[in-house]
Order: sequence, then structure tokens, then C-alpha cells
Amino acid sequence: MIPTLELQSVSKSYGDFVAVDQISLIVRPGTIFGLLGPNGAGKTTTLRMIMDIIAPDSGLVLFQGRDRSAKDLAHIGYLPEERGLYRKMTVSDHLLFLAELHNMSRREAMPVIETWLEKVELAGWAKKRVEELSKGMQQKIQLLGTVLHQPELLILDEPFSGLDPVNQILFKDLLDEYRGQGKTVIFSTHIMEQAEKLCDHICLISHGKAILDGELAHIKRSFGGNSYRLVADGDIERLEKLPGVEQIIPLDGGAKLLLGDGTSGAEVLANLTGFMTVHEFHSEEPDLEDIFIKAVSDARV
Amino acid sequence: MRASNIGTIAKREYLARLRSKGFWISTIALPILMAAWSILPSLMVAKTKAGQKLVIVDQTGQVANRLTETLTRWSEPSDQQLGEPPVNFEIEILRPSENAAAQQEQLDQWVLDGDYDAWVWIDEDLLAKDLVEYHAESVANFITQEVLESAVSRVVRQIRLEEAGYDAEVVAQLSRSVELETIRLSEEGSRAEGGLGGFTIAFALFMILYMTTLIYGQQVMHGVLEEKSSRVVEVVLAAVQPVELMAGKLVGICLAGLTQLGIWFATAVALTAPGFLAIFAFMPEGASLPTLSPALIVHFFAFFLLGYFFYATFYAMIGSAFNNTQEAQQMASIGVVFVVMPWIFLLPVINSPDSTMAVVTSLIPVFTPFLMLLRIAVKTPPAWQIALGYVLTIALCAGMIWLCARVYRVGILMYGKKPTVKEIWRWVRYA
Repeated sequence: MIPTLELQSVSKSYGDFVAVDQISLIVRPGTIFGLLGPNGAGKTTTLRMIMDIIAPDSGLVLFQGRDRSAKDLAHIGYLPEERGLYRKMTVSDHLLFLAELHNMSRREAMPVIETWLEKVELAGWAKKRVEELSKGMQQKIQLLGTVLHQPELLILDEPFSGLDPVNQILFKDLLDEYRGQGKTVIFSTHIMEQAEKLCDHICLISHGKAILDGELAHIKRSFGGNSYRLVADGDIERLEKLPGVEQIIPLDGGAKLLLGDGTSGAEVLANLTGFMTVHEFHSEEPDLEDIFIKAVSDARV
Repeated sequence: MRASNIGTIAKREYLARLRSKGFWISTIALPILMAAWSILPSLMVAKTKAGQKLVIVDQTGQVANRLTETLTRWSEPSDQQLGEPPVNFEIEILRPSENAAAQQEQLDQWVLDGDYDAWVWIDEDLLAKDLVEYHAESVANFITQEVLESAVSRVVRQIRLEEAGYDAEVVAQLSRSVELETIRLSEEGSRAEGGLGGFTIAFALFMILYMTTLIYGQQVMHGVLEEKSSRVVEVVLAAVQPVELMAGKLVGICLAGLTQLGIWFATAVALTAPGFLAIFAFMPEGASLPTLSPALIVHFFAFFLLGYFFYATFYAMIGSAFNNTQEAQQMASIGVVFVVMPWIFLLPVINSPDSTMAVVTSLIPVFTPFLMLLRIAVKTPPAWQIALGYVLTIALCAGMIWLCARVYRVGILMYGKKPTVKEIWRWVRYA
């Protein structure tokens, strides 16, 4: 199956600052792909290079197996992190403008616009100026602007930031709908919880480098068994000195421990009891947050 | 670059401008302002024409009568020799009294009471001293003063000539005034045209070019800043490249400017058409109103395009680099300096369009649109100079567009700290 999108060691620097360092990705059709990492990791720069907004210093961007050309942009929908609308335009004029930019004719676009406005319950607002809309309504219009032309690939940069709860559900439903149609979604987020709920495939980025890339289920399995939940009284600081403990995340009444490869829970527990009163100690499926932290510390070594 | 994208962006920009109230207000307001500006001085002149009540005290006993005659003869429109009367005088001659100081005090009082507009004191030694005193509440009435001055000179000159033994008739014959008829020469053939008419056209075109270039250039800046601050820019970049967005914006706003100019010129041409003017009875027979030659209009539009693209790209660059109008203001004022500079050369160039200074300044690309247009309007310069002006300005515009595109593609995505000139220069050098 030809990947919807492929990056081949793409890099971008600004002077001495390396924003994106040799990132390679393969995004297959019908998946929701999460680009994860803290703010400033290089997610937005990567997405902008995919969108031809910034030219990479080196590397290739392939869309459906071919070198991505400016024409392909008509088959991609992009919702940037910094998003807004022309305040003085009417809702329908604005949507028509965005549809026309994606090579739709007025005749093609108008029925689609009407259908979508009805779907998001804004049909009565078509002739209103954007500035008269509430923030939540404007968010809906921004989303519509990215899907009117029925793109094969939807790229959303931090789509959930600043969304009200109703729109969060709207966005999530849309992502599911897209996957259901065999289309592809890439979205970036710094909130691991969201990615965990939505993604099939993730790529973790830190300091411009892809440090972990794979199917979410697979990644979780490979990290599983090494994460333990501890509820105990005693000197938590001393945990750091225990052999085989790589990461300690303090939690209410105890901590979460990430163990190194080849260290068993039983060994750690045996050492623990020497200086702590243990109430609970059990294996736990790692969440993405933990995986990310471990991956970052591994990458530094 | 894809033309369809540029077209879509340009259409949006154009319609956004044409749907704004500001566009139509300025379309109507500017001609009214300019008309008011050119009509107001003649209205003020008309007010002085209503009449000047003068009292003349003549200690020589020779001048007053002849002065009155000259001034009132001037006041008769039928007098061919002296032409149109600039001021209507109503004159009373007073005998000089023994006590000159008391009489002057009395005259002052009359003027202050409004019985007379002014009094004129002709001293005994006028013929030797060349001086006449004019006392009035308002001494800014320069037309009255000028007419009076020339009338007194004329009378004094005649008296002196007669005293030197010349016959009064001969003197009158020989001291007739000459009127200057201005004829403008150009490639398209000579035509009679008031010197004032040529000046008016040159100045009006300069004004319009100056205002539209500045206004539309700054509109580009505000448009770019608005897209940046409303965060709509990257939404649009989802489908178009930065350079397409910039080009579309420049073209769209340019078309709005051309539309406005088109409305003004169409109106001007219609109003100055011969058939239309005949309606106005007050237009004297044979009086030539300044007309716009087609070639001049073509040059005007060409220079508008060049001037606009230079300043608009300059302003687009500034708009993209900064976050808001306040930040952009400092750099934007540099642009204003470039536009205002031609004002300094306005009068010298109009007065002597062939001078070295006029030639040199009109060939400096930043000023060419304004000053070359001025020269063409006043006196057609050699073809090579016009051609060179165009070539240099087009080269400058091309360079400016390139520079702007480099800064723009980086700047529109930069938020936060106000960039320094050094940083902006670094953007230019990014791949």
C-alpha cells in the first residue's frame, strides 16, 4: 500500500538552531497519526514543511508516493495551530474563498458549504460577518474550511487547544469519520492523553529528532511490564538510588516507577521494603506520558 | 506560482476594498477637496472684487486725479488695453489739510469705523522718493495692493515723462502694457494653454499620484498586519504559497486603486469635454480649460503602477515583519520620507523641468514616478530620459519584490518579539 505521506530525513535549521533534525516518517492511509512532543520540539515546523509553507533544508516530502508538489495541497486539509478568520467577511463568503483556494468552483462549493453549515448547526449564520460569531462558532468555521474540499489527508496542528467541550466532541467525531472513510489524519499535540485516546500510530519528537515511532499498541506492549505503581510511606528520595529504577514520577501517596530492561519488579520490591512501608506495588500499563519521558531520557544517553 | 491562487486572493482583496465605506468616501471626498482647494482662492479674489472704498490724500496735487482715472478705467470691463478688472475701486479724493497728523488720525478713525476700506497718503516728495503709504485694517489683501502699486507707478512714470518734456498722448501710447500668451509645445502639437492651467494639471496629477501611492501602499501594510494579527494567514497558506498570497494581495489592492483612479479620470474627462462645458454660460468665449492628453494619462497610470508596486512591496515587507501597527510605524515612516521627498523638488521641477537637478532627481528610481510625471506634464522631456526612468524604476521594483518576498515568507509566520533590522536581513538569506 502506498503511504499517504512520507518524509525522508527532512531537516530545517534557522541559523544555528536546528528546528527539525533528519525526521523520517511513513503515514499509511486510514490511520490517525499523532505527532507528539513538548512545545518547541519541532512539530509545527515539520507540519509546515509538509504543507510547503516552509522549504526544508534537505530531505524529501512524498505525497502518495510522489514528490509533493504545490498541486497536491488541494488534496490536503490543514488546520494550523495559529488559526483565524477574516473578521469582516461573511461566513459563506469566507468558506467559499477557502474552497476556491482548494480548486473548487463556486458551483461545486456552495452545496457543500450549506450541507456542512447545517451539520454544525450554523445554517442561519451563513450571511453573518465572522466578527459577529462567538469564538466556538468561529472554531467550527475554521474546521469546515479544512474539510470542504474532502481532502485525502487532514493535518491538524494542536487541534484541541482552546476548543470548548462541544467542539472537542465535534473534532473527535470528525477524525473517526475520516478514518472510517479510509482517509488519513495527522495531528500534533503536546497532551499525551489525547493522543492515547485517538491515535493508531505515533511519533514522538524531542528537540527536532524523532525519538520513537510506531503503532501505539505495539509501543505500549514493548514498554509494558516495566512500569509499576507504588503506594508506600517512607523516604521517596531514596528510590532514586535503587538499582534498575530509571525514572520516578512522584504521585499522590507514592510514585510511579519505570524500570530498566532486565530489572524485575520483584527485585525492586525486595529492596524497597528495607526503607519503606509498602501498601501497594503492582505492574501497570504505561501511559504515553511515561513512555515519552523514558524515550527522551534514553535518547539523551 | 499558480495564477488561479493569485486570482482568488486578488479577488478577495479587491472585493473587500470595494465593499468598504472608506473606499467610496475617499472616492467622493478627494475630488471635492481638490476642487475646493483650487476654487477657494478665486472665491477669495471674488470677494475683494466686490469693491474697495479708498480715500486718497494727495499733497502733490498732481497724482490723485490721474490715479483715480487709471483705477476706475481699470474697473471698466470694456477697457481692452487693461483687460479684466482685478478690483473695483470706489475712490474719494480729500484735500490735504494744514495739520497732517490730525488728518491722518481722522482717516484712521474712518477706516476703523468701516466707512472706508483703506486710505492712501501721497506725500509731497513722492516723485522723488517713490513711496506711497497704504493704511488699511487688513494689509493681507495683496491683489488690491498690487493693483494699486502698479497704478501709482504708471501714473508717476507718466508724470515724470511729461515733466521731462514728452507729449502726454505719446507717453500713453508708448507705455501700453503687454500681455503674455502662454503656448505649450509638445510632440502632439502646440496648443494654447494658460500657464496656470499647465501648472494646475501637473500639480493635480502629482497630488493624486502621491496620495494614491501612499494610501494604497499603506493599505497593503495594514492588510498584511491584519492577516497576521487575526492569525488567518496560515489558514490561507494551507492552500497557497506565501509568495502567491503576497502577489494576490498586491494585485487585488492595486486593482482597487486603479478602479478609484479610473472613476476620477473618467469623471474628469467627462467634465472637461467641450460639449459639457458649453453648458456653463460663465465660461468665457475662447477660454481654454486645461485638458488631459491621452499620453499623459497613460504615463500617469504607468507611474502609478510602478510607484504603487515599489511602496506596496516595501509596506508588505514591513507589515510581515512586525506584529502590529505601533511596531511597524517606525519603519513605515521611512517609506513616508521617500514619498514626501519629491515635494521638495516639486516647485523647482515645475519651474525649470530641463534643469540638471530636475533631470537627475527624476531619474532616481524612488522619485521617478512623481518627478518624471511632473516633467512630462510641464514639458515633455527627451524620450531617452523617460525610457531610462522607466527602466530604472522597473529594475528597482523587481528588486523590491524579490526582497519583499524573501522577508514576507518568514515574517508572516513570526510572532512575538519585535525583530531587529539585523534579524530581518537574516531572513532574507534563509534558503
